[in-house]
Amino acid sequence: MGEGHHHPLPTTPVEDRVAALESLLVDKGILDPTAIDAVVEHYEHAVGPMNGAKVVARAWVDEAYRERLLADATAAIAELGFSGPEGDHMVVVQNTPEVHNAVVCTLCSCYPWPVLGLPPNWYKSPPYRSRMVREPRVLLAEMGCVVPEECEIRVWDSSAEVRYLVLPMRPAACDDLSEDKLAGLVTRDAMIGVARL
Amino acid sequence: MKNGNVKEEGFSEQSLPRSNGTPVFDAPWQARAHALAVLSVESHGREWDDFRRHLIAAIADDDRRPYWESWVIALDAFIAECGVVA
Repeated sequence: MGEGHHHPLPTTPVEDRVAALESLLVDKGILDPTAIDAVVEHYEHAVGPMNGAKVVARAWVDEAYRERLLADATAAIAELGFSGPEGDHMVVVQNTPEVHNAVVCTLCSCYPWPVLGLPPNWYKSPPYRSRMVREPRVLLAEMGCVVPEECEIRVWDSSAEVRYLVLPMRPAACDDLSEDKLAGLVTRDAMIGVARL
Repeated sequence: MKNGNVKEEGFSEQSLPRSNGTPVFDAPWQARAHALAVLSVESHGREWDDFRRHLIAAIADDDRRPYWESWVIALDAFIAECGVVA
């Protein structure tokens, strides 16, 4: 489809409400419309799981960085230039052969924006929020993430001040890959803990 | 540009940001509502938690309501709490 021929769709009440709130905040001089555009643009292009993937890849290749990341994730993540709202109190939890970590927000949608961007819809859905606590192994398997029976599953609730990021295990047999290439192997779902690499 | 998987997570295809192949927002108004919350917290010198409390309340009030509609209800309440009225 080419550009330039759009049928305007009727607006919904919630769309109208957002537009009204935006006008109110702009008219009162509280918000600058260009700042609103900049935030929209920022979350569309500048933040996303590619940031978290860089953090994970660095931790895989640099032992000292991995230690800093596990000791003070907020500071170690800021070293790579990632910070901002929902990223002030970061904790990184490390997968091992014995432990698989998974993250949920039981009350709403807390999520580490600077490293993962905004959460996918399923993360915010009532079934995920309740079942990840009640029956994580079953839910993970349904999502295609089969955790070995002997591996403990730890579920972290982001509803406190803390935002969690899972450090997946480095896939076997990729010793010769560069840090950049390794980052390309890291998926959003692996950093939430609903996938294994 | 090639269209993505239209059926993924039940969303309609739109030129919206994606992460791991899924849209971050279902519609542009959601991106605006997100930005309004981020900036309102900042410009009023409040903590993100002050907004989050309203979001938790809106979700708890009706867990079946679409997420971003709860977000707008929270935004409305937060802005009112900050003393901004029409």
